[in-house]
Amino acid sequence: MQAFLDEIEAAVPALRRYARALAGDQDMADDLVQDCIERALRKSALFRPQGPLRAWLFTMLLNIHRNGARARRRRGIGVPLDELPVEPAIPAPQPSRIDLADMARAIDRLPGEQREALLLVVLEDMPYAEAAAILGVPLGTLMSRLGRARAALRTLTGTTPEPRLRTVK
Amino acid sequence: MTRPDTISEAMLHSYVDGRLTPGERVTVAQWLATDPDAHAEIALWQRQRDAIATLYAPVATEPVPARLDPHRLAAARIGRRNALLRMAAAAVVLVGVGIGAGWIAHDRLTPGASDLLIANAVNAHALYVKESRHAVEVGAGDEKHLVTWLSNRLSRKISAPDLSSQGFTLVGGRLLPPALDVPAGPVAQLMYENATSDRLTVYVTAALPGGKRVASFEKRDGLDAFYWANDTITCTVVADLPREAMQPVARAVYQQLTWR
Repeated sequence: MQAFLDEIEAAVPALRRYARALAGDQDMADDLVQDCIERALRKSALFRPQGPLRAWLFTMLLNIHRNGARARRRRGIGVPLDELPVEPAIPAPQPSRIDLADMARAIDRLPGEQREALLLVVLEDMPYAEAAAILGVPLGTLMSRLGRARAALRTLTGTTPEPRLRTVK
Repeated sequence: MTRPDTISEAMLHSYVDGRLTPGERVTVAQWLATDPDAHAEIALWQRQRDAIATLYAPVATEPVPARLDPHRLAAARIGRRNALLRMAAAAVVLVGVGIGAGWIAHDRLTPGASDLLIANAVNAHALYVKESRHAVEVGAGDEKHLVTWLSNRLSRKISAPDLSSQGFTLVGGRLLPPALDVPAGPVAQLMYENATSDRLTVYVTAALPGGKRVASFEKRDGLDAFYWANDTITCTVVADLPREAMQPVARAVYQQLTWR
């Protein structure tokens, strides 16, 4: 039991990091992680997961997050009105820099499955196979979500990979 | 950008995510050097990576709040389970006191009439303890009328237990409709309050057919419910109190409402 708890403890910082990026809000993210640990403890009374604990914990965290997201949608609580995009993102004046606030907003606005995949690969630095296993999708699906996420981020942050013609006022 | 056949899109992702063999890296890097569009695209992906890391990577080095410590959570879990076991044991002791044999104590009731009564008692508690002006139908000032009225409607002699030794005074009571699908008739609900405005309710009905003796301590919707039944009444005490406070109160209600 002690070793099992130590192993969970070792995964907590990464779970918090991932949850924070998924949920945006610190308290909501930590609630997610706490639910995840409690669920792990409850389940471990019945069986010990086969294979790496990290993947098991991330899978559980994602399930809790998705259920919560569903519940929030049912309650009609989503993006606050003043955060809704009212105008298209304007290309950044310096295309080489990505504004961090823009990036945070862009991640929030990614479709859930793209956000989940992108953050596992980019933020958690997971091998593609492990990320695909956590998401329960084939490797090819993971790669296409990753591709779409990267393209969507480019559009949402208004950064262009190449210099664009400026409109003359 | 036009990619040579030797370089797949997956390889470009792998390049950015650091998942290529050194040989593959060189192949991709050489091609990127010849294709400015592709180079710009890949550079953007790398900047996205950097931005995401800048935003969220520091979270992993923040001190972890105590509530996320698995050792603590595991200990709390064991504590809760033991507390439940202690309560179940206490329920057994409680009903054993001065009653003699013939009681059946469950730490958990099977779904049935008793279960529905407990659920209804918890619901009614949650509904009325929130009320300030309309918490009760008849106030404690009219206690004599209250107990006569409720006794008549339940066709049982009901008295309001005196819980002053436990720090609770009677607020009053009300008549509630019969619980659905439970053949126990109308319900008398008595409400008590202590100095710190903690409220407890006592939910009494006539006995269920058969009048089986049952007792149980349950935790429902975050509330503690102590239920017992005999051949005269069923009674559920509902409160949100620390365990040490709940026990003497439940015992006092039990002792005063059990008569023969």
